[in-house]
Amino acid sequence: MSMMSTLMTVMRKELRDLSRDRRTLLLTLLFGPLLYPVLLLGMGKLAESRVRTQIEEPLQIPTIGAENAPNLVRFLAAQGLNAAPAPKDLAEAIRSQDIDVALRISGDFGKDWAEGKPALVEVIKDSTRRAAEVPSARLEAALATYNGQVGALRLMARGIDAQVARPLDVARQDLASAEAKRGMILSMLLPVLLTLTSFIGGAYLVMDATAGERERQSLEPLLATPGSRSAIVSGKIAAACVVGFVSLLLTLVAFKVSAQIAPGNIGRQFNMNVGSMLQMLLVMLPMLLIGTSLLTFLSAAAKSMKEAQSHMTWLMLLPMLPGYALVAYPLKSEMWQYAVPFLSQNQMLLKVIRHETITPTVWAIYLGASLGLAAVLWFAAVRRYHNERLAISG
Amino acid sequence: MIVADNLHKAFDTRTGRIQAVANVGFRAGDGQITGLLGPNGAGKTTTMRMLYTLMTPDQGSISVDGIDAAGNPVEVRRHLGVLPDARGVYKRLTARENIAYFGELHGLSAECIRERIEVLSHALDMGDILDRQTDGFSQGQRTKTAIARALVHDPRNVILDERCVILSSHIMQEVGALCDHIVIIAKGTVMAAGSADELRAQAGEANLEDAFVKLIGSEEGLHA
Repeated sequence: MSMMSTLMTVMRKELRDLSRDRRTLLLTLLFGPLLYPVLLLGMGKLAESRVRTQIEEPLQIPTIGAENAPNLVRFLAAQGLNAAPAPKDLAEAIRSQDIDVALRISGDFGKDWAEGKPALVEVIKDSTRRAAEVPSARLEAALATYNGQVGALRLMARGIDAQVARPLDVARQDLASAEAKRGMILSMLLPVLLTLTSFIGGAYLVMDATAGERERQSLEPLLATPGSRSAIVSGKIAAACVVGFVSLLLTLVAFKVSAQIAPGNIGRQFNMNVGSMLQMLLVMLPMLLIGTSLLTFLSAAAKSMKEAQSHMTWLMLLPMLPGYALVAYPLKSEMWQYAVPFLSQNQMLLKVIRHETITPTVWAIYLGASLGLAAVLWFAAVRRYHNERLAISG
Repeated sequence: MIVADNLHKAFDTRTGRIQAVANVGFRAGDGQITGLLGPNGAGKTTTMRMLYTLMTPDQGSISVDGIDAAGNPVEVRRHLGVLPDARGVYKRLTARENIAYFGELHGLSAECIRERIEVLSHALDMGDILDRQTDGFSQGQRTKTAIARALVHDPRNVILDERCVILSSHIMQEVGALCDHIVIIAKGTVMAAGSADELRAQAGEANLEDAFVKLIGSEEGLHA
């Protein structure tokens, strides 16, 4: 009996075994595909509506000393920034997030203004609060406009061309591609979700087929058959990879479908073409192998499902690490990153989402490193199955 | 035929090294039933695990139908039907699928597997449970499934690990009637071997239970 036919036999049996466990199968296969698109589209929708209301709608700006600068207050009101009475304890109100941003107009404003000295206005906000970003940007932009207008008027009153006071004309040119801009939300979440799906997509099957089989005491008879241990464990890994792959495929299809159903801008953000989806699948394939081999290695040594499941806590964290690390320390794209597990998947997926060209060199480094790691882990899992204490349940 | 010679096996445990088997040797001839009898922890299961190549002996050799277990473990397993004490069946598969899975692992053709299942199902009277998932099976139905699974490839040799408690001379008599050849193991080594009559004669006792106690040198755990 060849290795290959043993492998196929074991794989078929494990898949059939899982297929009889309807609830687990549905949860494994449909959890990601159903939840992730809803999650992403919902977050996109929320973010969009927040920005829209904050940009377009009139805002109430609690203002201290509004009576000191009636002209400024009128100007701000024309911009949709209406002065409102400030609460007594403004700092506390901002800290407790009752107020996003406030304005304080100095008591000497009128005097300084009349004397042509810079008159003090303070924008009060908590810069770490994301809710304050849009309102305070609006307020600061309005103040800058007022500053520029009045400054120009004063120069003109003195017979000086206002251009003189503007030695630089700073313009911004955003080189981000349209796809990159659209893919902002996608690029924050999709790599983590896809990596997680492929990394632990086959987890249940692996744990059930290794630690579970040991716990149910069917491993010893299995290992007493002529099937080679390498082929048996490889068949289990292959079965988990099939499950993970189907789950991954369904997730991508679900994204595609929901993007086409979702209205307007949100739908466009998530709409991936078939080419991108195929690239993503190729990027995720080594991760499937890495995840299932690592899980097999770990749960082969576990005496029970419970013990095997205890590994999940830290395993779930691994795919999220590069995301957190990149927030803390954004990296420029460099070759070595395509060899680091989890980081490389993240970077590769970002490239796909941003529609950047992936050079053959990058593909070679990525596939070489990740398939190499998968091979090492697979080998370790096979070695562990050769351990003679493995079959003994008690 | 199974020939075991000078088998040794030790395990490292947290409390130190335990010599589970030391110098066990016997010959289980074709067409004979050979019984390994001994108290708890005598090394019976370890010995059998070495026979079906789950474990490698530290020392000594095993041959099955003339095939060396160290040199060709896969071929040895092909010549054995193994029913270990741990004999879990796959709960979500039917009895037939359980048996067929092992048939495939033995490299049997689908046709051959179907025929063997017919034969075994008839012999074990399991026609009515064959296509049911084993989840709700009784202990007996599960054991039948496990036996059919172990015999699917029609092996020349069958190894059964039966850890039943022998508390009465009645069961001892059954052992005597069942086994052509009895190997008595205690403390990891062979204390005596022979037919029931030979053992009784060797110990100078009229019944097999007393002979057994005398030969293992203690009364502790009359378990086989």
